[in-house]
Amino acid sequence: MAIPKKAFENQVIDLLGRMHGVARRLTRSDADAEDLVAEAVARAWRALDSLEHEAAFRGWIFRILHNTFLDECRRRGARPQFESLGYEEPEEGEQQFSIFEQMHQPFLLWFSNPEQEFLDKILREDIDRALATLPEHHRIVVILSDLEEFSYGEIATTLAVPVGTVRSRLARARGALQKILWQQARDAGLSATPPARHECEDGAADAPRPATARQAARAKKDGKS
Amino acid sequence: MTKHEIDCEQALKQLFEFIDRELPEDRRDEMQHHLHTCKSCFSRFEFERRLKEKLGGLGKGEPSSGISDRITKLLNSL
Repeated sequence: MAIPKKAFENQVIDLLGRMHGVARRLTRSDADAEDLVAEAVARAWRALDSLEHEAAFRGWIFRILHNTFLDECRRRGARPQFESLGYEEPEEGEQQFSIFEQMHQPFLLWFSNPEQEFLDKILREDIDRALATLPEHHRIVVILSDLEEFSYGEIATTLAVPVGTVRSRLARARGALQKILWQQARDAGLSATPPARHECEDGAADAPRPATARQAARAKKDGKS
Repeated sequence: MTKHEIDCEQALKQLFEFIDRELPEDRRDEMQHHLHTCKSCFSRFEFERRLKEKLGGLGKGEPSSGISDRITKLLNSL
């Protein structure tokens, strides 16, 4: 389907800020991001017949943007991975890292909430830096889901993968992102080890305390709490 | 347990799909019911929701004048 040139221009102008933001996060360079967006727009215009309907424009042009990025990486002989930044790929089947599980204290009094305090302390720059540390295949799903608010179906279309792959990749990417944020926070002294003993909500101060929220949930399920 | 009740393990398993608004309506209702009754899962939900919100804040931005001018020229040349 070809849409009129004016409609194409309007769509591109409407999405330009978003496209530029995604391109900056993919390339991690303002200059490269501008080149990437310009090349993607030119390619999109040439491939206009492949747009099935105008409502699909966003997913279609972000797919072209992403493919253009991958092509550029290949052309430069660079893998879009950043192991040098200290990223460790989670193992298949490995439980996803969770800051909440590291910090949550189920039996703390209501006025103390370490995990929410953690969120209050981390800055936009901290999240930006953690996101930049993720390898491309994880970064792109977080960008599309959490920054651009794409549905799983739209992400699947954009990346040309099944929805199930989006779901699993997103879970692993979020776990990896939280692990990086956690490490950054520890390095900055933001996430101190919680105190060993707490008052309990129900007054059972001496009851054994589950180490994590998941353990607490299991204990509750098993009727042990 | 009625058919509308889920346990913590099931709730945590589908927590992100709930936050991402990807659950069908019946499972969304089950999640909402569970979160209303389980403080631990509600705390987890609040944490993950806020973190997603913070990430979402990174996405809002206007294009620089440089890229706007460049793309406008490009579009005019097509």
